[in-house]
Amino acid sequence: MLWHRLRLALKLVQRSLLRRARDDQDLDDEIRFHLAQETELRAERGASIEDAARDARRAFGSVALAKENTRGVWVPISVEQIVQDLRFGCRIMTKSPALSATAVTLVALVIGGNTTIFSMAHGILTKPAAGVQATGLVTLKWVADDGRIETGTSYANYRDFVDQATTLRSLTGFDHDRFTLTHEDGSHAVWGALVTASHLATLGVPIIKGRSFSEDESRLAASGLEAVISHRAWQDFFQGGENVVGQPIVLSGHPATVVGVAAPPFRGAVLGAPPADVWLALVSFSRVGGRSNSLQDRSTFAVSMIGRLMPGTSLVQARAELTGIWTRLQKSYPEVPRTFTVTVVPYSGVAGGNSLVATRGDAFLGIFSIVTLLTLIIVCANVANLLVGRAVIRQREIALRRALGASRVRIVRILLAEGLAISAVSWVAACLFAWWVARAAAGVIAPGSDGQGVPLDFTPDWTVAGYAMALAVVAMIAFSVAPAVRAWRQDLLPWLKAGEQGAVRGRSRLSNGLVVVQLAFSVLLLTSAGLAYRSLFLVGTIDLGFQTRNLLLVTVNTAGSAISPDANAALLDRVRERLRGVPGVGRVTYARLPPRESGWSSTSVRSTASVDPVSAQRNYVGLDYFQVLGVSPVAGREFIDRQSPRAIRSAIINKELAEALWPGRPAVGRTLWVGRGRDAENADATSQEFEVVGVTPNGYFSGFRRDRRNFLFLSAQEEPAPPGETTFYVRFSGALDAIAPAIARGLRDADARTPIVYLRTMDTQLDNMIWPVRVLTMFLVLFAGGSLLLAGIGQYAVVSFDMRRRVREFGLRIALGASSGQLLTSVVREGLGLTAAGLAIGFALSLATGRGLGGFLYGITPTDSLTYVAVFALLSGASLLACILPAARAARINPIAALRHE
Amino acid sequence: MPKDSSRHRVDLLQGTLDLLILRTLRWGPQHGHGIGVAIRASSHDVLQVDHGSLYPALHRLEKQGWIDAEWKLTENKQRAKYYRLTAAGRRQLQAERTRWSRLTEAIARVLGPA
Repeated sequence: MLWHRLRLALKLVQRSLLRRARDDQDLDDEIRFHLAQETELRAERGASIEDAARDARRAFGSVALAKENTRGVWVPISVEQIVQDLRFGCRIMTKSPALSATAVTLVALVIGGNTTIFSMAHGILTKPAAGVQATGLVTLKWVADDGRIETGTSYANYRDFVDQATTLRSLTGFDHDRFTLTHEDGSHAVWGALVTASHLATLGVPIIKGRSFSEDESRLAASGLEAVISHRAWQDFFQGGENVVGQPIVLSGHPATVVGVAAPPFRGAVLGAPPADVWLALVSFSRVGGRSNSLQDRSTFAVSMIGRLMPGTSLVQARAELTGIWTRLQKSYPEVPRTFTVTVVPYSGVAGGNSLVATRGDAFLGIFSIVTLLTLIIVCANVANLLVGRAVIRQREIALRRALGASRVRIVRILLAEGLAISAVSWVAACLFAWWVARAAAGVIAPGSDGQGVPLDFTPDWTVAGYAMALAVVAMIAFSVAPAVRAWRQDLLPWLKAGEQGAVRGRSRLSNGLVVVQLAFSVLLLTSAGLAYRSLFLVGTIDLGFQTRNLLLVTVNTAGSAISPDANAALLDRVRERLRGVPGVGRVTYARLPPRESGWSSTSVRSTASVDPVSAQRNYVGLDYFQVLGVSPVAGREFIDRQSPRAIRSAIINKELAEALWPGRPAVGRTLWVGRGRDAENADATSQEFEVVGVTPNGYFSGFRRDRRNFLFLSAQEEPAPPGETTFYVRFSGALDAIAPAIARGLRDADARTPIVYLRTMDTQLDNMIWPVRVLTMFLVLFAGGSLLLAGIGQYAVVSFDMRRRVREFGLRIALGASSGQLLTSVVREGLGLTAAGLAIGFALSLATGRGLGGFLYGITPTDSLTYVAVFALLSGASLLACILPAARAARINPIAALRHE
Repeated sequence: MPKDSSRHRVDLLQGTLDLLILRTLRWGPQHGHGIGVAIRASSHDVLQVDHGSLYPALHRLEKQGWIDAEWKLTENKQRAKYYRLTAAGRRQLQAERTRWSRLTEAIARVLGPA
């Protein structure tokens, strides 16, 4: 469509150009004929041929003017002149390529950077989830008086919306849930959704195999459930087999049949929710699970809703109608939540979701636009400084042009054309930059291998390119205005008489201030980036206190396979025994929690003597836990299998906690209390008594965080947990590719109904934990690099402008015997004055804001001296470079030429 | 050309050139040079027309649709662009003439009998 229009436009331009050439030719012929006739006429009256020709031309007047005026009749707005201006603008650009390249780089960077962030926001906020046909889709959400947002309502309310809404062609309700999918080859923990029959049809997702739900399926109890699975599930669980439709499966303990496969890449309508692999009819599943009554409950918020507008209906109409239905429901049924009102928004992957992005998206965009505008202003100020610097050189040229009759408007137009040329090139560069960065960023940001990654699409589209263009236009106007205003106000006479000196007003305090501000922000960003980078580096070298290599974490879910805590404990021990028999597997243990970003649950621990409780990280672990981690107790022992039931249960603590509870005394054999009771005598029901059986060395057992020092381990055998997720720690040798399937088989042998939720090495798990730091570091490094470049170029512009202004002064100094070294130092010294101010302010800012970073840092304090020294060196170096380049030019000035300027 | 005759020459009033061109073309198609010569001759050399200014005017009139242009051969077998009055041009001429005579009458009345 667009391409077609473009070609049409090109054709028009081409045709008009051809016609233009022909018209020009005709006009030439016409005038030539005229002159020939006139000459002939005059010759007939007796003049000589030469005189006749000369008189004919005189009678005609200026041929060029006549042509110009005639052409002016053809095209009323002088396209010709504009083209000429543009050509002129481009010529100026190529005349000082270094400066133009700098300007283009600056503008391209700021537009590109902003466009990248915009395309990310755009990608998250407005794009549909993969595979959904978003045109005409709307999302319903419920907003309470206090601003609380609910993403759904009850199934009974959903039915009323479906029956009454005339503005919607179809409306689907759905609810995310986790399932255990069991088929003949094993069990898998999967995410899925309970949906109404119209779900896939409403979203525009085709079925590539079998069929979707029929309307009946969601109403009538079926003997077995019917399931639609994702393309991924078809490929991974059924190896893409042709006979997948009709295959029996078990979903969280309920028999079901695969009836269809949804077209890839659809994995659910909501971004941020885990990708779904199975869809079940909501009503049937509730009936099978004995929860039919909950369908009639009008007070719940379980069912999210997405609808497709009737063709020709607007969002406003739908909103009005649905609000009416909701108000009637509130009047008819007292249990329908009073304080909520329904609203209808255009569908996107996050619309209606209660994620931070969905609820705060608008605020984010607001802040983002302000930041965009600010950076754009700073960059444009820099570019304007650069261009003004160049305009100074051209001031005489401009004065001459004006003296020769060019109007002010024409001069300003030439300057604008120059700006246009710069921003056009920048726009193209920025779009390429944004496209590349957005793709790269999507790769970096997508979290690792735990299978919970949100597939994000950051690739810029036409909206984004349009946004970049808007920025480019704003930038062009912004940085062309200063030189243009200068040209407009310029007095002709001093320039024509005196040359440059004395007429250039001094370098402004404003641009100096701007440079200092940029340098200061650059320092702030550089220190933050440096700290983040250092801590990222240090994390890799931290000794966690246990061996992370060749350790596999296998998280399983026993919810569908054990019914009581005791059965759960027995099952876990059975699985542990079975896994130990897998070839290539060494010792095996399990724990209720693996190391994770959020740490383990925090618990209050007290000794008999201590009054103030100590906070410790608590986990329930199986046998051999410390052996598997490669840690040997410094005192006492590990938990022992099948201890005879005792009145006091056992606990293992680390050295740090032992020191905190019983400073300087052995801890083994002593009693500690876990829970909130005020003291031992008045221990309340939540306070429990444990005997310390072992003390381990210190280590970061729940993942690296300096603030997690105390650890309390309780026996998973003595304190059985209700069925749910447990993580096995498996020491292995050999290739992971061979071990992982063997472990899956071992687990299936032990209990076929227990699925693996996910499986990854300890190293991967620890690596994923520092993911936020990695992303933060990446952004900080990017921003810091950009700001350093900006500040450097800004300083360069100011210093070189100043230098050009004083060409004659330098020439004079050289003529009076100053060496080029002396000149160099004097210019650099003046420039570095700005740097010193920037550094001082920047470091003050860094120290003030460093505390905020503290939580993200590992292994270093926010005042890490190495980082500060490095930033000082880096910024000073960059600044020095920015000053030396123009200074060197000043030192090379030919005094004769400089003075002859006069 | 004798110098003193130029003293009697009058510069054209703004906008009257169009009228003169249209009027000249009433006698039939003519090329640019011919129009210039005709204006000069029919005003007995009083009206000074810068020949260069004929062409913007001719192209403007053509664009407005009051005259047509066509490349033809002259009696001397030279290629020339001939302009011809259109129906719209004829109407325009009539209107312009009326307007012109009203204007001159009014001005004459204001100036009074000499």
